[in-house]
Amino acid sequence: MNLLEARNLRKTYRLSRRNKVEALRGVELHIQSGEMVAIMGPSGSGKSTLMHILGLLHSPDANGGPPPELSINGTDVTGLSDRSRTRMRAETMGFVFQSYNLVPTLSAVENVALAGEYAGVPRRKATAAAMEALGLVGLAERSDHRPMELSGGEQQRVAIARSLVNEPMLLLADEPTGNLDTATGHEVLQLLQRFNRERGQTLVLVTHDHEVGDFTDRIIHMRDGLIETSAG
Amino acid sequence: MRLLRQLTRRKLRTTLTILGITIGIWALVVFSSMANKINALVEGGSQYFAGKVLVTDASSIGVGIGTSPMNREVADQIAELDGVAAAAPEIQMIYDPEAGGAFGGAETLLGAVTGADKGLETFPIRAIQGRLITLEDEGSHVVVLGSDLARKEAVSIGDTLEIRGEDFEVVGILEPTLTAPDTTAWVPLAAAQELFHASLPAPIQEAISADELISQVVVYPDVGVTEGDVAARIETEIDNVSTLTGAEFDEQIGSATAIFNAIIIGVAVISLVVGGLSVINTMAMSVAERTREIGVKRAIGGARGRIVRELVAEAALIGFIGGLIGLGLGAVVVVLANEAGRDSGTILFDLTVGTAIFAVAFSTILGIVAGIIPAWHAARLDPVEALRYE
Repeated sequence: MNLLEARNLRKTYRLSRRNKVEALRGVELHIQSGEMVAIMGPSGSGKSTLMHILGLLHSPDANGGPPPELSINGTDVTGLSDRSRTRMRAETMGFVFQSYNLVPTLSAVENVALAGEYAGVPRRKATAAAMEALGLVGLAERSDHRPMELSGGEQQRVAIARSLVNEPMLLLADEPTGNLDTATGHEVLQLLQRFNRERGQTLVLVTHDHEVGDFTDRIIHMRDGLIETSAG
Repeated sequence: MRLLRQLTRRKLRTTLTILGITIGIWALVVFSSMANKINALVEGGSQYFAGKVLVTDASSIGVGIGTSPMNREVADQIAELDGVAAAAPEIQMIYDPEAGGAFGGAETLLGAVTGADKGLETFPIRAIQGRLITLEDEGSHVVVLGSDLARKEAVSIGDTLEIRGEDFEVVGILEPTLTAPDTTAWVPLAAAQELFHASLPAPIQEAISADELISQVVVYPDVGVTEGDVAARIETEIDNVSTLTGAEFDEQIGSATAIFNAIIIGVAVISLVVGGLSVINTMAMSVAERTREIGVKRAIGGARGRIVRELVAEAALIGFIGGLIGLGLGAVVVVLANEAGRDSGTILFDLTVGTAIFAVAFSTILGIVAGIIPAWHAARLDPVEALRYE
């Protein structure tokens, strides 16, 4: 069963009246439930834009072409309001970013619990779930540390715990190893792979790292706003 | 807890913003306390003059107080007029000529004949210690002191107090009223007549004897007769007097307090503008600094309303803390100034519970209102743009 189905995804950014960038030029994409997919491509190929659209952070546009189609777990999401998209992000998706993006004033466990709270879980329950998620990434002992007090690898593991805490169907990771050294990067990828295998969480990650292919089921190569190849 | 952590992220900036609000609220508290005191005085005066007419010599210049000599006959003439229920002869004079007029109700000496109002006086005067002046006191040197005056003179019942060179026995101390009676000394009319006579220039002393001397007549109209009608009748029938009704008192003193109250509102508005702008500035800077954090929160599912609430709560907390400190500092000033003024009988401030609650509520609401604009701006950010922000 396909978790993600997309057709005619276009996205055009108008930087000024004359200057527009066609970041996506009609992408068609199917991702199966439980799949681990890497999106690769040079800068400006549109891979980040695709991530933002799949993550419901931006909406696709038609730009003169046929109307875009995007459904997640069978739900058409193209016409959803900001409120509904926000709720969907909270409840069915997890995000991991290149620069970890933890809230600096919150401890590790509070950062993780925040995602639970946004999904409507009461704080006490969210904190318990957050402790459990931190345990899964091996950081139970550092739960009361602030991001400043953690290494880059540890921060990224906290971010992964945050993306897992609501047990989302879809995990989106944007260059999750980009700021880490090779060894730490591998640990993070192994962690992501483990959750994909053990929990059946669909994982889409954008990366420059060619070795990532060793971990994923399939690599999608993008160029100039289109999918070039899609191979396992 | 989380809110406090956000606030302590930029300690200096938060402190300065809180300080800005503190100063505004401090000014608000001090000025409002002053206004409370003045309004209480005026309110007391208004209550006292309601439904009666004060008759003074035409040459008397004070509002609501007669200090120029009159002949006691005038009181008898007024009592004869139609529509007059009672006309009480009184003497009002400055309590201590050395002290001069004090702000917030000059200390006055009042000589009156008990019962001359025929029971029509409604203004509540109660003794907290001892008793009030009675008709039997006429001819003796006894005094009943208002609460502030008693504290200033540091006397208690049975003590002897020298007033204008004469010894008086203190027989009563009044309950505080927060208005004019607090700074008034009551003596029997005859005693006041002696003191008043002694204070006059020699030619006048020769022209009138002490027992004929009064300085004002308090006139109580008959039931169904307005004080305006009685005042008009007195002005036409009696020569060389001027009258003041309750309505005229309200008008004359009321316009003066209206100006004072306008100044208070001005202070409040300035503190609102300055404090509000500094909160807006602080929150706008916080939002700019936290753009990325806000982007993350939006990306992982933080709803706009929740982002707004978090930021507005921060701004409200800044306002609340600033308000509390401002109130605290204002209260310190009020207490110290009143303590310092107590010895001279000058109580300038009255910090009421209402003023205190208003000040803190006001600054909290100010914080909320000022926080809404930057918070709303933050919630409207495009999460992708915000995430890219360095």
